[in-house]
Amino acid sequence: MEHIKKIFNTKPYNYYIFFGILLSLAPTAQQLGLLNSSTIIVLGTVIFYSVVGVGLNVLLGYSGLISLGTAGFMGLGSYMAAYLTVDMNLPYFLSVIISVSIPLAVGLVIGLISLRIQGYYLAIATLGVSEILKQVFIEMDTLTGGFSGKSAFYPKIFGLLELNRQFTFIGMSIVLVLILIFSHNFINARTGRAFLTMRGSESAAKAMGINLLKYKLTAFGIATAYAALGGVLYIHFIRFAYPSGWSVTLSLQILAVIVIGGMRKMNGPVIGAFIVFGVPELILKQIPIISGIDGLAYIFTGVLIIVVILFYPDGVIDLLNPIKDYIEKYKENKNEEKSLLDNQ
Amino acid sequence: MKKNHCLTINNLTMTFGGIKAVDDLSFQIYENEIYGLIGPNGAGKTTVFNCITQFYKPNAGQVIFNNKSDQSIDLVTYQTHEIIQEGLVRTFQNIELINELSLLDNLLVGAHVHYETGIFFQGLRLKKARDEEIKMKKKAEKILEFLELFERKDELVAGQPYGVLKKVELGRTLMSDPKLIILDEPAAGLNETETTQLAGLLRDIRLEYDCTILLVEHDMRLVMDVCDRICAISFGRKLGEGTPRAIQKNKRVQEAYLGTEV
Repeated sequence: MEHIKKIFNTKPYNYYIFFGILLSLAPTAQQLGLLNSSTIIVLGTVIFYSVVGVGLNVLLGYSGLISLGTAGFMGLGSYMAAYLTVDMNLPYFLSVIISVSIPLAVGLVIGLISLRIQGYYLAIATLGVSEILKQVFIEMDTLTGGFSGKSAFYPKIFGLLELNRQFTFIGMSIVLVLILIFSHNFINARTGRAFLTMRGSESAAKAMGINLLKYKLTAFGIATAYAALGGVLYIHFIRFAYPSGWSVTLSLQILAVIVIGGMRKMNGPVIGAFIVFGVPELILKQIPIISGIDGLAYIFTGVLIIVVILFYPDGVIDLLNPIKDYIEKYKENKNEEKSLLDNQ
Repeated sequence: MKKNHCLTINNLTMTFGGIKAVDDLSFQIYENEIYGLIGPNGAGKTTVFNCITQFYKPNAGQVIFNNKSDQSIDLVTYQTHEIIQEGLVRTFQNIELINELSLLDNLLVGAHVHYETGIFFQGLRLKKARDEEIKMKKKAEKILEFLELFERKDELVAGQPYGVLKKVELGRTLMSDPKLIILDEPAAGLNETETTQLAGLLRDIRLEYDCTILLVEHDMRLVMDVCDRICAISFGRKLGEGTPRAIQKNKRVQEAYLGTEV
């Protein structure tokens, strides 16, 4: 036990690797009959929304900027990936690079806007961008299939090997772990400190030599790149997208992900994504009486947001605090007993 | 001994609407000196401060600074965030630290401009980024030791006593290897003992880190105690300049502070 603790303490991101390994065992568990096939789909959903959530957490949690345009960028990434792989037959990895870079470029332009407007106004502006993108998805039906939607395949690696759902899931787990480690590293370094300083006080940031233009653009760039990457993962796993899926509701759900999971915590978006996108499907729908209620997931999320904001502003993970306290007390008591015995 | 100039203010003028907050003000600070800028409420001290640190752009006048590489530059042509690179760093009257970070990390923010690696080096934890971080942490720990805050280095800033926060902010300025530290009312909110300690600390900083200090201050005890020379202003104009003793005897300064006899 002590040994395991030591591994985690010396390299903090061993947690993420451990979590990733656990996650990639899920498809095997399904083949052994321990998990439903639908559970795998739900967990896959949790994975790509976690990636998107980590990006929004960098933007809102660490940098103090807001965006309600997440869904639009996610949609942009997914439609581009679908078009590039299905209609243009581009190799998978090339398509990923293009479908992340173009939304990234759009995101940087939004970043420029954020220098001029702040707070609610920025939220509304980003919401507008997202709605424009949604309208584009509907109108440009040669590229996006319009209302009837657009389908895609599982990722085809090196032009030969098309992955099945199990391997796609494992690939997604790896991407999530890499994203978590990468973000963990730059958040706990100069970039993360610059974000937090900018969030705390712009004048302090300026006095410390932090270039606001550069760091606001970086924050928006990361958020949109992660959102687009989440969209790419989505389209190659769910294999179908239609325009109404990329509405403001989704943006708000992703906002709920980071509020419930805990802002300024690297694992917050993962926990939040599991609660917002996993729990209603996996648990609430199994409960007999309430499973019939329409929009159960929304009610659940809404109630949870209120509870979290009122009682656990640092995220739902704090619900575990009483248990932690109990364990610590238990340990202390045991130690005391031991020392008493030793004295005797 | 010939004294090198560190900061020279030439004919600085700043107006807000029709009001002249600073009116044709000039003074000069020499290297390795503790200089005080004093004046009654509304004298324009903070405006001068903001004009030096480029939070405001003055309407007229020059702010000539002898920078780290010993070149005279006019700060007015620089952007706010570029000032610190030249060797001029400020503190805030209402402490502006980051509550979510530890004392050590708050100091590292002060070294922001000394980092060379970007987000990709940091995200991938390449050797260059790791070495740089270790180097900066050592520097920050040394400064925390100097400030006698080493034991608290991993504690969060939130909830620390006021005196500690003031020290951390001073420590953060030291991280940037400054030539000139400019302090906005450092004694505000401190009691008499703490003010005396602050005076000692400022002297130690000058000795240990070989820098010049400009105090913009309301508190006369601190200014008279620690400054080599003082400039007194009122309504944006210079009343007098000289040693603390000379300023105390200056008739015009007395009038500005105490009013004229009827």
